[in-house]
Amino acid sequence: MAAVLEIKDLEVVYQGVIQALSSLSLQVPAGAIVALLGANGAGKTTTLKAVSNFLPLENGRVTRGSITIGGEDMLRLAPHQIVRRGIFHIREGRHVFSDMTVEENLVASTFAQRSPRPRRQAFDEVYAYFPILSQRRGQQAGYLSGGEQQMLAIGRALVADPQMILLDEPSLGLAPLIVHEIFEIIARINREKRVSMLLVEQNAVIALKYASYGYVIETGRTVLEGTTEKLSADRDIQKFYLGVEAHEAA
Amino acid sequence: MSPFQQFIEYSIVGIAAGGVYALIALGIVVIFKASRTFNFAMGEMMMLSAYFFYAASVTFALGPVIGMIVALIGSVAIALLIERVAIRPMLGRPFIAVVMVTFGIGSIIRGIVGMVWGPNEMQIPGILSRTPIMLGDIFVPGKTARAFAIAVVIVVVLIAYLRYSRAGVALRAAAADTITAYSMGIDVRRIIAFTWIVAAVTGCISGVLMANVNTLTPHLGLVALNVLAVVILGGMASIGGVLVAGFIIGWLEAITGLFLPTEFREITPYVLALVVLLVRPNGLFGSREVERI
Repeated sequence: MAAVLEIKDLEVVYQGVIQALSSLSLQVPAGAIVALLGANGAGKTTTLKAVSNFLPLENGRVTRGSITIGGEDMLRLAPHQIVRRGIFHIREGRHVFSDMTVEENLVASTFAQRSPRPRRQAFDEVYAYFPILSQRRGQQAGYLSGGEQQMLAIGRALVADPQMILLDEPSLGLAPLIVHEIFEIIARINREKRVSMLLVEQNAVIALKYASYGYVIETGRTVLEGTTEKLSADRDIQKFYLGVEAHEAA
Repeated sequence: MSPFQQFIEYSIVGIAAGGVYALIALGIVVIFKASRTFNFAMGEMMMLSAYFFYAASVTFALGPVIGMIVALIGSVAIALLIERVAIRPMLGRPFIAVVMVTFGIGSIIRGIVGMVWGPNEMQIPGILSRTPIMLGDIFVPGKTARAFAIAVVIVVVLIAYLRYSRAGVALRAAAADTITAYSMGIDVRRIIAFTWIVAAVTGCISGVLMANVNTLTPHLGLVALNVLAVVILGGMASIGGVLVAGFIIGWLEAITGLFLPTEFREITPYVLALVVLLVRPNGLFGSREVERI
């Protein structure tokens, strides 16, 4: 399958001196869920920010390499143009607009809408995936639970009708049951709407369960990649990311 | 007239003057909300607008309606020019650097207006009727009352627009979280330019109203420094609070004028702002944002 997103030999530097990525390459094929694994500070979030071109807003810069989506160079585009190309970034920590209502949060996302369908129809689709948001549509987003806020963050992505979602730590701070529920919906969106996903996740168990392919990055470079079956069977992955002791796995 | 009646009359006149303050403040706050930029040139923008009005309606004898349209177009053009040339390149620079830029722009505008139109007072055509409004026994000067009515209508319309329109949602999104706003396809730079347009419109209308109630001089914009007090009092982040604070400052100025010599009128807003900052550092209606100033 053709790759939607292709990152080649990416180097990112913050504040002119701090190297966050040194040589990162990865591909996300159309319709796939690809997981990006690695320890804290390995450069997972930086990779997503590079794709969305958020780096200049945080005093960072791509100094080498390329990012293309469907063959188009992303590095020249401003963040709002990238999302209008169908690459929606759900930021770590959800970042709902807490002073706005649930529905106003969805309205904010209509600026990223690509399809000509009416807004109302897009909102109804979100409410069909997340019925709880429908009940809370008039409530301030700040009063939602963590899980509901994550649902709203995903709902905002749905409004935009993206071809690909960059998903940064969707499980962060959520109870296991909620995490499971959210990942089931992520998988459904992937299946039903053919949206590819690049998933950054601390919770390697769940990431390897839902993704089909994975990359492991360490200090800014890709060190390991493969199908998630292959990665799940890897000794180092089991030891460092899945918390399985070597003798248990043997 | 009984002292009580006099007090009421001064109060009403003061609150009426506060309507225009609220209009100016709204222009300052909208820019601040979107970009954390404190526009010290607001007073000069409104003063320049009043001169545009004067030039179109008197010098070129186009009448007050065309004059107002010309003033609005001119103000918006100048505001967009300032945003594009001086403010946008400063994005991400320290707060105080951007403040100094706006301060400098204010001085430049004052200087240019002084060169073009000279330092003397000018009379602009009276667009507001002088016929006083009588509230029972209380006498409200006609111009002040009408300026108040216009200012309040515009403030209310703008607040409702920012509250309920899609552009308002985008503005609030950009104000709350720049990166997330970008991530949802909102072009934050365009939103900031949009807030400068809003400021130009409120500045233009308040400038023409002020020039009508008082006279037109290059110092017309100094009143915006009183509004600075309004804005601190209202809490920078709160659009609704600005409306109330505008009335409070107007009222306070009038009441000071009643009990104390006129010189005190000039300093009351600042004294009040100081006291409020001591007691409530975030302003009367404000949230955390003010500490960034």
